[in-house]
Amino acid sequence: MSKAAIGILETRGMASLMAATDAMLKSAEVQICGRHGIGSGWLTVAIEGQVAAVQTAISIGEAQANRSGELISSRVVPRPEAMAVDAMPHGGGLGTGQVGQRAIGLLETQGLTPLIVGADAMVKSANVVLGGWAFIGGALCHAPVFGDVAAVQTAVEAGRKAAERVGTVYATLVLPQPISGLGALLPAEPVAEARAIGAMGLLETVGYATVISGADAMIKAADIQVERLNIGSGGRITALATGHLDDVQVAVAAGVASVEVPDHLDASAVVSRPDPELVACFAGVVEGARQGGSRRAMGLLETRSTVALVSAVDQMLKSANVEYEGSYKVGYYLTATIIRGDVGAVRVAIDAGRQEAVKHGELVSACVIPQLYGGVEGCLPHV
Amino acid sequence: MGMDPAIGMIEVEGVAAGIVGADAACKSADVQLMGWESIGGYTTVFFSGSISDVAAALKNGEEAAKGIVEHVVAAPLNQPEPACRSFVTFPVRTDAEFRAGALGLVETRGYGVHIHTNDQMVKTAAVEVINVLTVHDRVVCSLVLGDVGAVKEAIAIARGELATYEHLMGTALIPQPRPEILAAYGMPMGGGGV
Repeated sequence: MSKAAIGILETRGMASLMAATDAMLKSAEVQICGRHGIGSGWLTVAIEGQVAAVQTAISIGEAQANRSGELISSRVVPRPEAMAVDAMPHGGGLGTGQVGQRAIGLLETQGLTPLIVGADAMVKSANVVLGGWAFIGGALCHAPVFGDVAAVQTAVEAGRKAAERVGTVYATLVLPQPISGLGALLPAEPVAEARAIGAMGLLETVGYATVISGADAMIKAADIQVERLNIGSGGRITALATGHLDDVQVAVAAGVASVEVPDHLDASAVVSRPDPELVACFAGVVEGARQGGSRRAMGLLETRSTVALVSAVDQMLKSANVEYEGSYKVGYYLTATIIRGDVGAVRVAIDAGRQEAVKHGELVSACVIPQLYGGVEGCLPHV
Repeated sequence: MGMDPAIGMIEVEGVAAGIVGADAACKSADVQLMGWESIGGYTTVFFSGSISDVAAALKNGEEAAKGIVEHVVAAPLNQPEPACRSFVTFPVRTDAEFRAGALGLVETRGYGVHIHTNDQMVKTAAVEVINVLTVHDRVVCSLVLGDVGAVKEAIAIARGELATYEHLMGTALIPQPRPEILAAYGMPMGGGGV
């Protein structure tokens, strides 16, 4: 039986969506029936119930969303036509998180570096449990914590302060008594094992080309391990490294120094003795990284246009004896391509690619890495 | 030695203008639609054919797309390297079956309003919603199929519903879309959004 009515509410940011959804579910007899994100932090939640209940819930949700963030749109659809609703992808977006009898705290930041630094401060400052993290596009990301109200309040405050030191906090939220239906909006729980390490180093850049040359500079400068290079959103992407504190400090400094265009460096940070939970949450389980890799020089070209990129690839392959290796998109209109060959050939090809790309669109980076360090080869996410 | 045909690419803001451009390109010359790619809020149409057919298709496709949005970049690859083909993320599907009919496009930034608009279109005109494309940078495009008159009516309804919505990007009507257009854009993209 189809429900009597569907209500939809779209906000910018998870804190605002979560606060509004909590208020809606408490205000009337309605359930969450879908969730969808479309980038730049715009999130939609769909609820269902009797017409009057949905109307009540949506008007309460609107008020709450405006109080705690930005409301984009809201609608009530009485007697929804199944055929119209089924074509939409929001039904598959629900999480299976458990809320339990605990307060929820949420830290939402612009970029991953402040989120990791803030999450570390949250778990260190009070007795709270980290509940995973997620990107919602536009470089906005969030991490929930659970615990008793006072602990969550303390943690969120500490997390906000720590995150503000290295980046931008978009929103924070404390729900002292969240309704259990809210679990559908929570990110997946971390699955990796918690482990203790000396320090975690973060280098967050704009674009794929910059993060690879940055990670290469980091690992060449000190005895560290590059854990992952594949977490990015909104055009930013982060190199996450671990090792002893002094090594990580040296590596991050070298990574920062390697960024040639100042605008391409978004943030950097060193987290000393990160909480084991934090390591499980952010450094754990990397899927889809390339194994091995060639020992040849690498050329990287990154644009904000597919036409410019593909035209450049065509010219690069024609101009010198180089091979196409793959491509990668980090969001916010960025698209990158990777070629391999002898250093001289890659240089010629990248030059040709650069000249071709600017004819069609915006060129973001074009660089040659004569010999990529083995520790970086193992974690390249491009395909 | 067999030579790979030339490739034409048209990049636009959003996806509706890409669909309109792809249809115009395929109708104006003997080219085969390959599929499309999405980065940020830009999508790019790829098609292949002889150098002169690709040139003619590019010209018409570009013009048609410019009738919908400002950002349109078109370029040919006259002797493309094989790697250039790997950028087609969403190829023309062979498992797609659609009835003949006119295609209506409603494009906005924002997702929520489409639930309501699609419901209204289906309730008041004899159209079916065949797909809702959510490309990056918040662009959402609903595709409806029906007789020309019904699709026209549906688009008028959508325009009315979205008259005060500040993120409406545009609407378009293709009275007789080529089947390959539906096979490229009419099927779910996969993935659960951002």
